[in-house]
Amino acid sequence: MNAIEIEGLHTYYGKSHILHGVSLTVEEGRLTTLLGRNGAGKTTTMRSVMGLTPAREGTVRIFGRETTRWPSFRIAALGVGYVPEGRRIFPNLSVEENLKVPLERPGPWSIPRVYELFPRLQERKLNRGRQLSGGEQEMLSIARALLLNPRVLILDEPSQGLAPLIVRDVFRIVAEMRNEGISVLLVEQNVRMSLEIADYAYVLDDGMIVHAGPAAELARDEERIQSLAGATAEEWHEKEPAA
Amino acid sequence: MLQLVLFNLFNGLIIGAFYVLTALGLSMILNLSNVINFAHGNFLALGGYLAYVLIPYIGFWPALVVSPLLTAVLGFVVERTMIRRIYGRDPIYSLLLTFGLAFMIQDGCRYIWGVNGLPLTTPASISQPLSQEFFFLTGYRLFVVGIVIVAVAALFAFLRYTRMGMRIRAGVLDLDTVSALGINVRLLRSLNFAFGIFLAGLAGVLAGGQIGLNPNMGDDLLLPSFVAIIVGGMGSLVGTLLGGLLIGVAAAITTIFYASASQAVIYVIMAVVLLARPRGLLGEEGLQ
Repeated sequence: MNAIEIEGLHTYYGKSHILHGVSLTVEEGRLTTLLGRNGAGKTTTMRSVMGLTPAREGTVRIFGRETTRWPSFRIAALGVGYVPEGRRIFPNLSVEENLKVPLERPGPWSIPRVYELFPRLQERKLNRGRQLSGGEQEMLSIARALLLNPRVLILDEPSQGLAPLIVRDVFRIVAEMRNEGISVLLVEQNVRMSLEIADYAYVLDDGMIVHAGPAAELARDEERIQSLAGATAEEWHEKEPAA
Repeated sequence: MLQLVLFNLFNGLIIGAFYVLTALGLSMILNLSNVINFAHGNFLALGGYLAYVLIPYIGFWPALVVSPLLTAVLGFVVERTMIRRIYGRDPIYSLLLTFGLAFMIQDGCRYIWGVNGLPLTTPASISQPLSQEFFFLTGYRLFVVGIVIVAVAALFAFLRYTRMGMRIRAGVLDLDTVSALGINVRLLRSLNFAFGIFLAGLAGVLAGGQIGLNPNMGDDLLLPSFVAIIVGGMGSLVGTLLGGLLIGVAAAITTIFYASASQAVIYVIMAVVLLARPRGLLGEEGLQ
């Protein structure tokens, strides 16, 4: 069974048409990455999966259930841990309180265990969310999603705005989650590092999937990686007729 | 003179306590649902009338809890069937809806219980003045202050220490993320609405015991309660608490010197606070 299956997703913000038939699959137990430059529609895709900006056409299936029109809390309750873009920690709550917000699904993750994974959070457990550094906020956002005991973890640009050393840490932990048996959908602009840990990669541009294939294969294609930052949909299609 | 000052200070505290109860409920609903509940004062009256109906059967003390509970249940139903439909829409819809509800509840009370005031019987044990000299210190008034303190302390403890309270506080700033973490935010909003209405119902019973019941009894509390929220700062319940006490006491003290300005002073305070601190005394930054 696939963790997430998206088919022909069309999503709008008001009248602007953002996603033009996005399809992708996150296989269970694997780390899938969705790459693309700013404004490609990566976050919109995640918001549609989470039911925060529901798609107007197309279907989202999570662990075999069709969730396209579900409210986000039902989707999350299936075991979808979401680490949103910009982390979205609760600034007015303490670290510990932030960790008590998620639904308590049964599973291996508990507050002591996430403190083990992120000792820094335990040191700061009485601090308010707004007092944390960017890296600490990212850890908190990941820890919060883990406390839901997710079967699939969706991370939207976890490396954004973080110092390179902390980015390494974050990617190491994301890779560890896959090794724990959690399926992962990692949305990133940091192409090289994502390809290093991912099993499978998709590239999104202008609201369309322009490439799909094993991560290792894409990682070897230096030319393509370099063009990824500035690639347009047409350029991609020239190199590879619709994936 | 001392007696006069104390009398008015205590009066201010009582009226402030009513503002606080009403304003906290309004504020909770406003914070999580973004709805200004113009029917709040009418739920308050309803709480009082329900106590009036219940007291002959179950007595005052049980009614003090049961009538606010019943009012809250009604609030829950109203939220589920009506209020929730206008979430995310232009604020004009919620204004129209709650205004309509206000008239319906008020006329409903008038239809059932009549236009004239009704007394709410309070137990003799708490109705006597405590001393001749301080005649205004009746047991009932102390009791009102005590109950309000207990209710407010319970509310703050609930919000601070329970998971549900944390979810409500988180939802005030970012309901989408709370939902994405698996929390049924529809139910959270309904329950939060019901909590707010519970406080209104409680205020209704307490006010009924002091000034009697009439269908418009909540109207005089509603506007000052809005002022308390604004003075205290939107989004901050502690601010609402301070705002309510501040304007209650200020109005009462003004009564000593210039009685006819006692209502106006509330709005003067609001203007001064807004000029000095546009977010109110304890308004959270970056709420929008």
